[in-house]
Amino acid sequence: MTALKLLSRTKLYWGLIAIFLIGVLGSPMSSKGNNIFLSYGNLLDVLRQVSTTGLIATGMTAVIITGGIDLSVGSLMAICSVVCAMLLTVPGVTPGVVLGVPTVALVALCIGFVVTRFIFQNLAKSRAGADLVREIRLDGVRGLVTPAVVGVVLCSLSLWFLLPQIEPKFGVLGVLLVAPCVGLLFGALNGFIIVAGRLQPFIVTLAMMVTALGIARLTAGQNNAVLPVYTGSNATADFEILRSLVFGVIPMPGLFFLGAILIYGAVLRFTPFGRYVYAIGGNEEAARLSGIAAGRVKIATYAISGLLAGIAAVLYVAQYRQGKPDAGAGLELDAIAAVVIGGTSLMGGRGSLIGTFCGVLIFGLLSNILQLHNINSNLQLVLKGMIIIGTVLVQERNAGDLLAYLRLPGGQTAHKETAAAKRPSQETPSLNLGGNKNETT
Amino acid sequence: MKRRDMLKLAAMTAALLTTTALLTTGNAYAQDKKWKIGFSQVTTIEPWRAQFNKDILAEAAKHPEVELIITDGEDKTEKQVADVENLIRQEVDALLVSPKESAGLTGVVQQAIDAKIPVFVLDRNVDTKDYTQFVGGDNALIGRAAGEYAVELLGGKGKAAGNVVEIWGGMGTQPAHDRHDGFHEFTDKEPGIKYLLDQQSGDWKQDQAYNLMANALKSNEKIDLVYGHNDPMAYGAYLAAKDVGREKDIKFIGIDGLPNEGVQMVNKGELTATFTYVTPGAEGLRQAIKFLNGEKVEKTITLPTEKITKENAAQVLKDNGL
Repeated sequence: MTALKLLSRTKLYWGLIAIFLIGVLGSPMSSKGNNIFLSYGNLLDVLRQVSTTGLIATGMTAVIITGGIDLSVGSLMAICSVVCAMLLTVPGVTPGVVLGVPTVALVALCIGFVVTRFIFQNLAKSRAGADLVREIRLDGVRGLVTPAVVGVVLCSLSLWFLLPQIEPKFGVLGVLLVAPCVGLLFGALNGFIIVAGRLQPFIVTLAMMVTALGIARLTAGQNNAVLPVYTGSNATADFEILRSLVFGVIPMPGLFFLGAILIYGAVLRFTPFGRYVYAIGGNEEAARLSGIAAGRVKIATYAISGLLAGIAAVLYVAQYRQGKPDAGAGLELDAIAAVVIGGTSLMGGRGSLIGTFCGVLIFGLLSNILQLHNINSNLQLVLKGMIIIGTVLVQERNAGDLLAYLRLPGGQTAHKETAAAKRPSQETPSLNLGGNKNETT
Repeated sequence: MKRRDMLKLAAMTAALLTTTALLTTGNAYAQDKKWKIGFSQVTTIEPWRAQFNKDILAEAAKHPEVELIITDGEDKTEKQVADVENLIRQEVDALLVSPKESAGLTGVVQQAIDAKIPVFVLDRNVDTKDYTQFVGGDNALIGRAAGEYAVELLGGKGKAAGNVVEIWGGMGTQPAHDRHDGFHEFTDKEPGIKYLLDQQSGDWKQDQAYNLMANALKSNEKIDLVYGHNDPMAYGAYLAAKDVGREKDIKFIGIDGLPNEGVQMVNKGELTATFTYVTPGAEGLRQAIKFLNGEKVEKTITLPTEKITKENAAQVLKDNGL
């Protein structure tokens, strides 16, 4: 009885294990009689192939949990890949520098300001202690001057680091700083327009998707469909590190992906920010009324989504030796599919990063298995679509639910029961932050 | 609760077993072939690529000892790289690649070479020299053939005169530049030839070429020849001329000469001529098999082009079973 309950609670992992088993059992054999699917090289290929989508899906998960959606990630990745390739291969002041360096300065300024202010605010709160009734008002020095100074210092530091790199070409650390910052800025802009304009995330990020694609093409220039990056000849040799195997065991892109999942997963799981993200997705109005700065949290999720798209872009450039304006075309849909397979609800309020991790792997292993069997590519698309539907059905509904539609005795009650359980507790004005919303299946 | 979970468990187990069974039966065939050759194609839904696949499959049908695996990159670099990685894992005896981009595919081609797989690069080259062979057409050569014929149409060497509209393919693409340069090697020597449009691009598309030509027709009383960097664009220009009733006094030259596309247009008298840009499918596979059988192959094979006019169009269609 309890064993079965556990089984249903962990169905996502079973899905992953099932796909894996199908891969192992059905794998073609190599000439030496080895299992091709299980070969270490093949599994590494899969991890490397999914890492770009995986990073994008990581950022997307938090956005979707807040009840939003981010369609612009593919285009943001395109901009960042163009900027990254340009900085690496073209010396002097290029469109990439013009776009990238001021962005880093601006982001450094803002981050310095906001973080310092945030620290002062929390110090003041803790000093005020339990009898806090009104909002904290910081005095001029702590609320404005010091944060501004910290911001300017950070900004100067970043410029001191980047400006000498313009004339020769940028190094690895340089692009690893610039590309994510560009993504972060555009992502924050997404969030800002959504919050300030009180607009639908769908349409705002759709507009950004088109705009960003245009900016990527403008940055690349009329005659550059592709900006090739050859480490050692036209770019720094260190860039090779981002493609290599770390300690000969795990590919660097995969490491970034796992790192992003772990860090962001911990943030969503254990910090107040994470709680707020779930709360906003559950019921934004209630969250706002209970004192959560919903707007800021939403802007942060979109900004982080853009940041991860920027990191993904650098890895893309490393892996495919090129930056181009159509990198990441259609990637947003792959990412959304992976997130939904991972059990995150598009309605918001429910989902988890570990689920997304499984979703991304399920999708990647599936593509790999279909390709290993050389199934016709058009049929592959059909199968992938069907598997998405199938997986989501298993995720979202119980067998009883489905049987209820067939008017089978016994199905009815099950259907009602689950419907009641699925309904977010909108009637209760009290906000249950720790409990039933964070259904981390 | 209990019954629900039981049902789900049963369903999942059943699904698992059927899929595995299906996949294993799938593996059972194709064991008696001598050579396993993998071919990574960019996309299958573009006419020239479809013809490419048709050619390679027709050639494969003549070699019963070969098992040919064709993968489809769905026009994405990431997908094509994953396809090639997959073919490497399947330990193919030879690998044919037609790269979407030189830079994007170089790394994985190198990986195949390091895995001791002979690599045949088709149509577009990669930035490494260690491949076994490159087979492809030469756009500059085709452009020259088109230029030579254009001069002939406009009155012959030294006497040629007329107004020429050139409709470019994508501005950032090498084939467009090659097709332009080759053409101008002949036409630039003729003082009588005037060029009406300055580097106007139709981006390889029929509708954009139509719009360009419609504008050119409005602003120019006399147009004698249109040179489109591919057949659909030449055809778009033809349609624009036809819509204002001037198609009779203009000659149209296109490039690509696909049986189902350009050759048909020439046969109907819509285009004056087209020059084939032969797909390297058949030749590439022939060379790979030759190499596997222990013969020597050249490092580079350049495919010739053929002029298709009203005289031979019907014959070409017949040869292709149309």
